Amino acid sequence: MSEWLQQAIAHADSIQDGFAEQRSASLALLKDTKWPNRKTEAWKYTPLRAVERSSAVIKEDSPELMPQSVLGADFLELTFVDGQLVALPDELPDGLTITMQESSIFATIKPERHLFGLVNDVLASDIVIVTVAEGVQVEQPIRINNLLSSGAQAHIRTVVELKPKSSLAVVETSEAHGNTLATAFTEYLVGAEAKLEHYRFALQTDDNVAVGGSHFKLLEKAVLNSSIIGFGSQLQRIDTDIIHAGEKADAKLNAIYLLDGQELFDLHATVEHEVPNCTTEENIRGIAADRSRAVFNGRIHIHRDAQKTLAELNNRNLLLSDKAEINTKPELEIYADDVRCAHGATIAEIDKKALYYLQTRGVSKSQAQLMLSFGFINELIDQMPNAELAEWVRPIIRDRFAQMEVK
Amino acid sequence: MSNENVLLSIKDLHASVEEKNIIKGLNLDIKPGEVHAIMGPNGAGKSTMGYVLSGRDGYTVDSGSASLAGEDLLDMDVEDRARAGLFLAFQYPVEIPGVSNLEFLKVSVDAQREARGEESLTSAEFLKVAKEACKQVNLPVSFLKRGVNEGFSGGEKKRNEIMQMILLKPKLCILDETDSGLDIDAMQVVANGVNSQRSSERSFIVVTHYQRLLDYIKPDFVHVLADGKIVKSGDASLAKELEEQGYAWLQTEPKEDELED
Amino acid sequence: MTEQIDKALAREYEAGFVSAVESETFEPGLNEDVIRRISEVKGEPEWMLEWRLKAFRVWQEMEEPNWAHVDYEKVDFQAISYYSAPKSMKDKPKSLDEVDPELLRTYEKLGIPLVEQQMLAGVAVDAVFDSVSVVTTFREKLEEAGVIFCPISEAVHKYPELLKKYLGSVVPTKDNFFAALNCAVFTDGSFVYIPKGVRCPMELSTYFRINEQNTGQFERTLIIADEGSHVSYLEGCTAPQRDENQLHAAVVELVALDDAEIKYSTVQNWYPGDEEGKGGIYNFVTKRGICHTNAKISWTQVETGSSVTWKYPSCVLKGDNSIGEFYSVALTRGRQQADTGTKMIHIGKNTKSTIISKGISAGKSNNSYRGLVRMNPGAQGARNFTQCDSLLIGDQCGAHTFPYVESRNPSAIVEHEATTSKVSDDQMFLCQQRGIDPEKAVSMIVNGFCKEVFKELPMEFAVEAGKLLEISLEGSVG
Repeated sequence: MSEWLQQAIAHADSIQDGFAEQRSASLALLKDTKWPNRKTEAWKYTPLRAVERSSAVIKEDSPELMPQSVLGADFLELTFVDGQLVALPDELPDGLTITMQESSIFATIKPERHLFGLVNDVLASDIVIVTVAEGVQVEQPIRINNLLSSGAQAHIRTVVELKPKSSLAVVETSEAHGNTLATAFTEYLVGAEAKLEHYRFALQTDDNVAVGGSHFKLLEKAVLNSSIIGFGSQLQRIDTDIIHAGEKADAKLNAIYLLDGQELFDLHATVEHEVPNCTTEENIRGIAADRSRAVFNGRIHIHRDAQKTLAELNNRNLLLSDKAEINTKPELEIYADDVRCAHGATIAEIDKKALYYLQTRGVSKSQAQLMLSFGFINELIDQMPNAELAEWVRPIIRDRFAQMEVK
Repeated sequence: MSNENVLLSIKDLHASVEEKNIIKGLNLDIKPGEVHAIMGPNGAGKSTMGYVLSGRDGYTVDSGSASLAGEDLLDMDVEDRARAGLFLAFQYPVEIPGVSNLEFLKVSVDAQREARGEESLTSAEFLKVAKEACKQVNLPVSFLKRGVNEGFSGGEKKRNEIMQMILLKPKLCILDETDSGLDIDAMQVVANGVNSQRSSERSFIVVTHYQRLLDYIKPDFVHVLADGKIVKSGDASLAKELEEQGYAWLQTEPKEDELED
Repeated sequence: MTEQIDKALAREYEAGFVSAVESETFEPGLNEDVIRRISEVKGEPEWMLEWRLKAFRVWQEMEEPNWAHVDYEKVDFQAISYYSAPKSMKDKPKSLDEVDPELLRTYEKLGIPLVEQQMLAGVAVDAVFDSVSVVTTFREKLEEAGVIFCPISEAVHKYPELLKKYLGSVVPTKDNFFAALNCAVFTDGSFVYIPKGVRCPMELSTYFRINEQNTGQFERTLIIADEGSHVSYLEGCTAPQRDENQLHAAVVELVALDDAEIKYSTVQNWYPGDEEGKGGIYNFVTKRGICHTNAKISWTQVETGSSVTWKYPSCVLKGDNSIGEFYSVALTRGRQQADTGTKMIHIGKNTKSTIISKGISAGKSNNSYRGLVRMNPGAQGARNFTQCDSLLIGDQCGAHTFPYVESRNPSAIVEHEATTSKVSDDQMFLCQQRGIDPEKAVSMIVNGFCKEVFKELPMEFAVEAGKLLEISLEGSVG
């Protein structure tokens, strides 16, 4: 066990709430888990030095921070500052409840293999449970804000349950200032015929260290549409697990990573097809500039009984600098024969034909490269179901491109 | 021929692709307002000529010169050639998903205007101009919102090329087999677009394998390109001759190095 | 349908007989003394022994790898005999006439062209029986062309300079657990040297046969293609049917100097164990080639045997414009487990690699492709294309793909695609409706699936590989 982990879990005992049983189980697992090194497959390309060296601490007092507003969007805001829940919506629509009581779902969807998920089980002090009642369509999206002030370490946890035939949109977002460390995990149980629209924005850069995950369990005919957008930072790691536990469930995951400077970003996406007749479509696109490093692992696991599965993963990457690095590993593990599964991964430079085409129209080379890089990403932003969020994030991404040094 | 009042001047141009000589001594002068058709068998170097003049990567000029309005073309970057007034309408326009046609057109037009020392148009002004251009080539306005050429049919791609030409107002347009893959109706739309842009200031090089397009875009001169150089030149009637007799008869005639202009 | 297929797969292992050849075999066990004895039996020079001992010490510090998608009872390295030779080999035969007829019969049964009429096929053969090379054919003819093709144990004496320079130069001693073990205990294998500018006049081929009980086979192959030369090399493997697992830990090193080309083809048909997974060969093999400027190495493998396969024939594309290729068909059935693939390490500029992998899983087997494509910072303009296709026959097997793609050069392009499919009821119905019996239909479909790889094999091998697949699938349909 690392020194950092030992110090971190020393806090575990101070938390008193209804989750004690799960917490102690996770703590026991944690004590048995080996601290990852280069030979640990899940951390092969992502060193944990940034965590080991982090001086961020769990704070007693935090400044007041407000989340960024999104033009035209009206969210039900759940705001955490430095790991403490500071704001809940004043009024909730009928059928939507938010509590901090115990939950039978907590720590059951997120797989135990995630080391920092166990850390989060043990250290998240304000566990928030969101429940949408059967048949209720919540129009207003919930936004979970994870705000961190300089020097803060925070562990936030949300559990979301959609009862059958309900629908909800959840936006997970984080903003960090200065040297910070966060683990933010969210678990979703999407009931039969329920629909979840999900976003996770990890747009903080620089000194932030963040290791988190969004984990979904889909019951019969549930529908998930998830979009993840990440910039790198000193260390930015997101694990997502989609578990098809009910037949005819449908999952779509679009993810984007855009890295600059010395940033590091690592996305691990696992899809478990446990039952027959489910579908998965994943589109993952990434760009690495300057000295950045991108890691993607996309695993699709078709269990023995999961006949008639349709699952596809497509990962495309642009490498913009000879100092940057992209490591991708799409994986298929298939134990059923009557399935259609495919994955593809490419790492390339900007399409030369398209570049030439733009130049013949008088567009300068550098601007053409910018347009093409943006276009590459924009294709996925165009698919975001929430137009306000798409409009909000588009200029942020444009600005990021403008800053990136495109060679 | 003197350089005075010549828009495009190509002198003894030799060019190669992957170390293979394709253009082998090309000479061509084009005055403002003229329409020149370049015909020739497959593999003669017709498309290569357009790529070399526009400066495509991998197309190397080995010797000779080419100038546009007195400026040395071969010394310029691709985009600077475009800004100097050279426009190439592609045989197979590339698809660029994610980059909207409207954005692409605006950036291109802005670059042209900047090169000409003109103010760039506001988004609203440009939208108006672009919609007008859409109408001219019979493309639904909704195409402006789609990715560049993304999912366009062959005909729509060609019309999109002509729309760009209308918006960019080039001095010299090279139409590279713009008729390929088009039915008569689509070809007429394209030809009308081209004809609407003909003026005493603007010249065209119409590259085509078939005489058909030249019924709609009447050329002032017709040249036959074979094995990397012009082997025969004439007026519009030469195209008819080629249509009737094909290209084979050219091989039986002694090769002519000089233009029959 | 599945039942039919299963039935087809429950075929006999044709190479499973045991030969009544009298052998001299070491007692099981591994220590420095055993290594000294191996070296002594082989009459090796001191430097070779030192090299072995160094490797042994390295091996003792290493751990058996466990990252592959295979599950097997770990090998007891002290229960294996590290040397076994037919007694009749004591005074090595000078020609085929002097070879023990029982041995010749063994190879005849296997259909391996050691004897005259089959020599007409024009393939030079080195046959390795348990731990030693028993015969190498066509040596004179090869010598005329300047080609060296001999047992590696002989090369140690005859060509020490080449060996000292190249042995371990591609697969270093420390490379991995099994390679280190091989360095310490390898007994024989083939050595090939093609001089500058020479196109080897015939296909070279080695057949490996494990006969003795409780022996491991640790052969070592070294092929050096000097500048501008060309060679095509074939390798085939069989073993008797035994209830215990036997270990095969070979190392193959290929060196393609500037402008040289090596084509290396394998048809691996080690005993796969029975339907319940009892017995069979553990095939833990390290194969790697290095390409210098403009050189090309092409690996083609047809893997139908072994109970567990752990094998990644790889290319280090060091020289500019060098080319690496990997074409693979891996068929698993019963309880077989295969974890196989390749590594393409792009170091030089404009290097190119192609990977075509076809995995066929049937019965209760698991078949994994594991590959690495790495574009180093200097690999300007490098290209890779990878296509991994899996075919599942029946619903009790597994097909897996684990590709690692790493790029550090923006001008390099890597493309990886993987798909999975099954022999569909529609395909079967169509074939049967046209009067094709189900077995033939499956074999046709599987053959079609593998076509891209088979066409890379030398002619004689392509036929053999096709037959092998057909046999493997025999009775698979009902």
